Amino acid sequence: MMKRRKFEWGYLLLIPGIGYIVFFVIASLYIMVAQSFGFYNYTGSSEFSLTFWQNVFTRTFFDDLWFSFRTALLTALVSIVICYPLSLLMQKIPGRKTFLSILKIPMFVPALVASFLIVNIIDYHGIINIVLVKLGFIEEPLRLRNDPAGIGALVVQIWKNVPFQMIIMYSAIEAVRKDVKDAAANLGANRFAILKEIILPITLPSALVAVIMVFIRTFNDFAISKTAGPYYPTSISNLMYLHAYTFGDWNTSACIGVMMMVTSIVFVSFYTYISKKIAD
Amino acid sequence: MTTRLIVNGIDKTFGDFQALSDVSFTIEPGQFVTLLGPSGCGKTTLLRVIAGFLEPEKGEILFGDKVMNDVPPNKRNTAMCFQSYALFPHKTVYENIIFGLRMRKVSADEQRKRVKEVMEMVDLVGLENRKPYELSGGQQQRVALARAIIVRPEILLFDEPLSNLDAKLREKVRVDIRNIQHSLGITTVYVTHDQAEALAISDVVIAMNKGRIVQKSDPKTIYNRPSTKFVADFIGSANITPGTCTEFAGSTAVVDSLYGVLRVQAADLTPGEEAFLCIRPEDFVPIFAENAPHAVNVVTGSVLHAVYMGNSLDLFVKVNDHVVRISAAKDCPIPEGSQISFTVQPDKICVMKG
Repeated sequence: MMKRRKFEWGYLLLIPGIGYIVFFVIASLYIMVAQSFGFYNYTGSSEFSLTFWQNVFTRTFFDDLWFSFRTALLTALVSIVICYPLSLLMQKIPGRKTFLSILKIPMFVPALVASFLIVNIIDYHGIINIVLVKLGFIEEPLRLRNDPAGIGALVVQIWKNVPFQMIIMYSAIEAVRKDVKDAAANLGANRFAILKEIILPITLPSALVAVIMVFIRTFNDFAISKTAGPYYPTSISNLMYLHAYTFGDWNTSACIGVMMMVTSIVFVSFYTYISKKIAD
Repeated sequence: MTTRLIVNGIDKTFGDFQALSDVSFTIEPGQFVTLLGPSGCGKTTLLRVIAGFLEPEKGEILFGDKVMNDVPPNKRNTAMCFQSYALFPHKTVYENIIFGLRMRKVSADEQRKRVKEVMEMVDLVGLENRKPYELSGGQQQRVALARAIIVRPEILLFDEPLSNLDAKLREKVRVDIRNIQHSLGITTVYVTHDQAEALAISDVVIAMNKGRIVQKSDPKTIYNRPSTKFVADFIGSANITPGTCTEFAGSTAVVDSLYGVLRVQAADLTPGEEAFLCIRPEDFVPIFAENAPHAVNVVTGSVLHAVYMGNSLDLFVKVNDHVVRISAAKDCPIPEGSQISFTVQPDKICVMKG
C-alpha cells in the first residue's frame, strides 16, 4: 500500500515571507503580461489583442532599449574594473575601515539626490566646465549633462555602483584563505602570479555576480537617466513611464515592461552560461 | 638536494607577546626533525619564520651557508604542507601538483615526468582530474605532500599535517611521510603537538615551551631522559616527585621522595641536593610472591582505580597521599581497593634538576 505523504504544517510558517513575495511578484508579473495582451485595460475594452505588441517595436523603443542596455553594460564593466583593484588595495592599507566607510557613501545617497549632485558638477555652468575654461583647455563649456552620448548618466551610474560592487568584491577577496596564498608563495609564485593564479579565479564567481547585479540595477534605472541622461534616446524605464503616465497607454507600457524583463533574463542567462564555461 | 638548516638566535614578537625567544639549533642535511610543544609554544611561528612568511626581529636563518632573512618565501626553495592542506580549491589534483613546477618554469617534458613519478609515489594515480572537494581527507593530505615534494625543495616543512585525520589514517600517513622523506633525503622540519607522532617519525625531537627550546634530543633520549619537568610531563605520562638526595655512593644516589626512599642510578647528585624524579608508568612493576625477594625500590599503596586500556591495565595507586600511575600487564589480576606493592629499577628513574 502506498504511504500517503503527510502534509508538513511547518511550511505554513513560511507564509509571511514567501507569501508576500509570491503574491506581489507573481501577481504583478501576471498583470503586466496580461496587460500587454490587452487585458486589464483601464481606458478601453479588456480583451485579447496583439495590437499593443505591434505598436511597441518602433525606432524609439529600440533606441531606448539599446541606450539602457549599453549604459547598464558599460556601468557594470567599468565599475568592476575600478572596484576590483580598489578592493585589492583596501585589503592592505592601514585605516581601511574608515576608507571603506567613505567609499560606501554614494550607495546610501538616493539616486535622485546623487544625480543632482553630479549634475551640479558636470552642468554647463558646473565646476568641471568652469575649471576647464579658466585653465584655458576649452574655449566654451562642454555639454556634459544630458549629452547625447549619455556620458553624464554613465558617470553618475558608475559613481553610485562602485561602492555596491566593492561590498561584494572586498568580502570576496578578503575571504580568499591566507594559507592558500601562502602555499602559492611557498611554491614559487610571486605577487602577480598569486593574483592571476589564485585570487582572480577564486573571486571570479563573485565578480560575475557583482556585474550581473549592477547591470540589472542600471538597466532598470529611471531617476538618473531622467536627470543626467540625454533627452533622446532615453532609458527604457523612461519610455515605459512616458507611455503609462503621459499617453495613458498602460498596455504598451506593459509590453515595454515585459521586454525589459526578457532582456534582463536573456542577459543573465547568457552571462551565467559564459561564466560556467570559464569556471569549467 | 639536501641542505643543513641553521636557526641562529631567533626572536619574534607579536605586539607585547614574545612568540620566539633566542631560538637556536642546527638540523643536519637529510634529518627529520620535529618541533614538539603545546599550543602557543611558538612552533608554528618558527616554521613560518623558516618559510619566510614571518620576519624575525633578531637572529638568522641559514640554508647551508646562505643567510635567508632577506629572501622572500617564493625564492627560498622550501615547500610546506599546511595543517589545512591549503590546496587550491579551483584547480584539479593535477593542476595543484604541477603548480610549483610551473612557477619555477620547469620544461613541460620534465613536468610530466615528475608528476607521473610523484603521483605513483603518493598513490594518487587516477585522481588527476578531481577537484580537492571531491577527495577524502587522506587523499587531500597526499596531494599536499605531492605538491610539496615535486619541487624538490631544500627544506620540507610540515605544519601539523595529520591533525585533521582520524587516528588510524594518521598512523598510516605518518609512516608514508617518513618513508618518502627517507627515500628523498630532504631535510625536514615537522611541527606537531602529538608526542606519539613526534617520537614515531623523527630523527630528532625539539621540545618547545613559551617560545624557547627546552630540549633537543633523539626520541629515545627525550622520552627516557627528559631534561625538565615540562618535557617529562608533556611527552608521555610521567610520575614526577620532588626529592632530596640523602646519600651518594659509587654511581647510585639515595633520594627521599614523596613515594618513599628510592635508589637512583647514575645520578649526578650530592647529599642535600634537591631534584625531581621522573618515573614512567610502564617502568613500575607490580610485585608478586615470585619476584618479591629481589625487588628494590619497593613502594606500597592502595589501588584507587584500575582502567583497562586495551593493551595495558592502568592502575592509579594512592601512595603517601599521592597518586602514582602504573601501567601493568592487561591481564594483571589487581582489583580496585586492593593493596599492592610495586618496584622500579634504579636506572629507570630519571633525575631532573629543574
